[in-house]
Amino acid sequence: MKKAYKKGFNLIETYPVKFSEAVILVKYDGPVNNFSFSFPDKKVEHIIVNLCPTEPWALPNRVILRNATHDFLDKLEAVRTEYFPDSHCHVVVDHLESNLVNELTQFKTQKDWLSIHTMEAVYPYDAPVLIVKSILGLDIAFGQNTIEDGILILDPQNVTGIFEYYIKETEFNTRLIPISGTGLKDNKILKVKPGTSIKSMLELYVRTDIKYRVFLDGLLNGTEVKDLTQKIDWSTKNIIVIEERDYKTPFPYLKVNELLFTTSLMGELRRCVYCNFCDDICPVNLEPALYWHCYDRGEKHKARTYALEKCIECGLCSFSCPSKLELLQVIKECKSLK
Amino acid sequence: MKKTFKNIETILNKSLNSIETFIQSHPKVNFLFGALFEATDGLIRSTKDTAKNPPFIRSSMDVKQYMGGILAALFFGWVLPAIYFYGFMCVVPKLIVSFVVGVFVVDLIWVILAREERINEGGFVTCLFIPAFLPPQAPLWLIGVGAGISILFRNILGGVGHNLVNPALFGRLMLTICFPTMVVSGWQEPSIDIPTIKSLMYGVDAVTHATPLIAFKETGETASFFSLMFGANTGSLGETCRITLIITGIWLCVKRIANWRIPVAYLGSVFVISIIFSLMVGKTAAPPIFQLLSGGLIFAAFFMATDPITTTYSQAGKWIFGIGCGLITVVIRNFTSIPEGIMYAILLMNLLSVPIQSIIQKIKYRT
Repeated sequence: MKKAYKKGFNLIETYPVKFSEAVILVKYDGPVNNFSFSFPDKKVEHIIVNLCPTEPWALPNRVILRNATHDFLDKLEAVRTEYFPDSHCHVVVDHLESNLVNELTQFKTQKDWLSIHTMEAVYPYDAPVLIVKSILGLDIAFGQNTIEDGILILDPQNVTGIFEYYIKETEFNTRLIPISGTGLKDNKILKVKPGTSIKSMLELYVRTDIKYRVFLDGLLNGTEVKDLTQKIDWSTKNIIVIEERDYKTPFPYLKVNELLFTTSLMGELRRCVYCNFCDDICPVNLEPALYWHCYDRGEKHKARTYALEKCIECGLCSFSCPSKLELLQVIKECKSLK
Repeated sequence: MKKTFKNIETILNKSLNSIETFIQSHPKVNFLFGALFEATDGLIRSTKDTAKNPPFIRSSMDVKQYMGGILAALFFGWVLPAIYFYGFMCVVPKLIVSFVVGVFVVDLIWVILAREERINEGGFVTCLFIPAFLPPQAPLWLIGVGAGISILFRNILGGVGHNLVNPALFGRLMLTICFPTMVVSGWQEPSIDIPTIKSLMYGVDAVTHATPLIAFKETGETASFFSLMFGANTGSLGETCRITLIITGIWLCVKRIANWRIPVAYLGSVFVISIIFSLMVGKTAAPPIFQLLSGGLIFAAFFMATDPITTTYSQAGKWIFGIGCGLITVVIRNFTSIPEGIMYAILLMNLLSVPIQSIIQKIKYRT
């Protein structure tokens, strides 16, 4: 079997998303929120910059680096010396991108504040809990702010932002946002001024012949956008528009590809059949079906005795469940129980 | 070609849609045939359910594929070899009786009378097991009774997902209690020559009185491993051709439909424990490789013991489950008057899997 199914899942292989090369500026004349970054008041010991997105719909790193890795690293160095002088930088890259790894190691030979880490682009290994664990060997709890431990996880776009806005003091008011999915004619990377509404971003690209739904920040643990007039802000990572398959398709087993990247459940709701798919795929070694059994018996409070607090809510258990149980929802409900 | 297919598809889709609206608008029709329509519709079309909660995309694996995989493995694992060895007329009527009684009579009546849920394909898997562990010359009514009891028992417990013990094995247990001579007689010599149309239709008409395991109990002779492996020996309908069972069983494990821990633990423990018994009591205990290749052990280890719902949920528990099955099997085979102990081993371990699961859970999370 593919390695993808063992602890984590290679989403990029299953849902290949190709973005077109050009970056398109979205026209917008309304009020613009200027870039702002809340600098931590605690001492930062480690900065982690992740250049290895594990989700296919995330911003590809070529758009940030633009074939000029040295420029980016110079910016990172400037940001570090200006604001976090005693910290150590960790840059994470995909182990398959050998060119990038080479460039980084070349740059690294002169600097002792930088270290390079490679990892496989397997979801959800870029989640804060797991990335800190694999790079620094530290255990942090899910939902805890990493600043408490002196760790700052920096979005690559924010590195550029801090450099341009706070150090160079130039105007910096655009953010790169990738839009992708089966509900669009084409996958694009847009340059957006925060404050723009999602509707005006998407109106040129959505397919009009089908129903679609819009999601923010990833399909596995993101949120649905019910109101399309909602505005983009500086924390928006990506937008996905996928087809809404709320009708029956004949012979689905012959058309798996047609159904794959849609909201369809791809199967009937059934009872848990103890197939062990959820604990095979769980990146933190939990047994999500136990929570389902507790929930099913009406003993929500009991779920917490099975290490529930370790769950990082990546959503892979519900994703892989052949009975289509809402495991993530059950976990969230059990967690919220006081 | 593609266009005609597309046209047929559209017509089918439209007619199914109109039947659906008709059934849903007539409560009395819905009461009687709603579940039946949903079951057939579910085989042809996908559901219209969409993801309401995150994650908003789901993997394409569902329980239908899961059960379909088991059905395909059983078909290539025992149905095709059995047709070769015992003839078409021996195998296919049994399958038809099993399906008709199990799925189309008992399951259907149950759904119409008692259960609101739809019929599901788990019944086919159970009914495909029934002829496999009965002798080739078992009468058709015996198969029908077995299938009926199994499906009824499964439905009483609450259907797929609520089974306490493997329903097919429970049916076989009831048959063993009610008709003790019928399930251990009627062994037939397989046809091992170059197949002719006659042999493929009717098999060879030679009745023997013993399977290799019974022969070993009586005379202490072991059959050749080659004949055991490739099915040229007597036994129940589905268990003789071990090579295809091993291949399809491994395919199931690779597809992660069957958990590999159970066959490994089961077969491994049978091997190890029978070595220990051979060393202890000498020739009265069957030698290890003969143990592995005789009776329904391969069939049971890959297909019956791995029935996911009746084992423990915990992966560590699955090892204990498999080893327990192996121990009970070897003990029954060597030290009791029953030649075959697999059914009792798996049924007993199915029941024990409940306490095993709680103990493992307690060790894992409360220490």
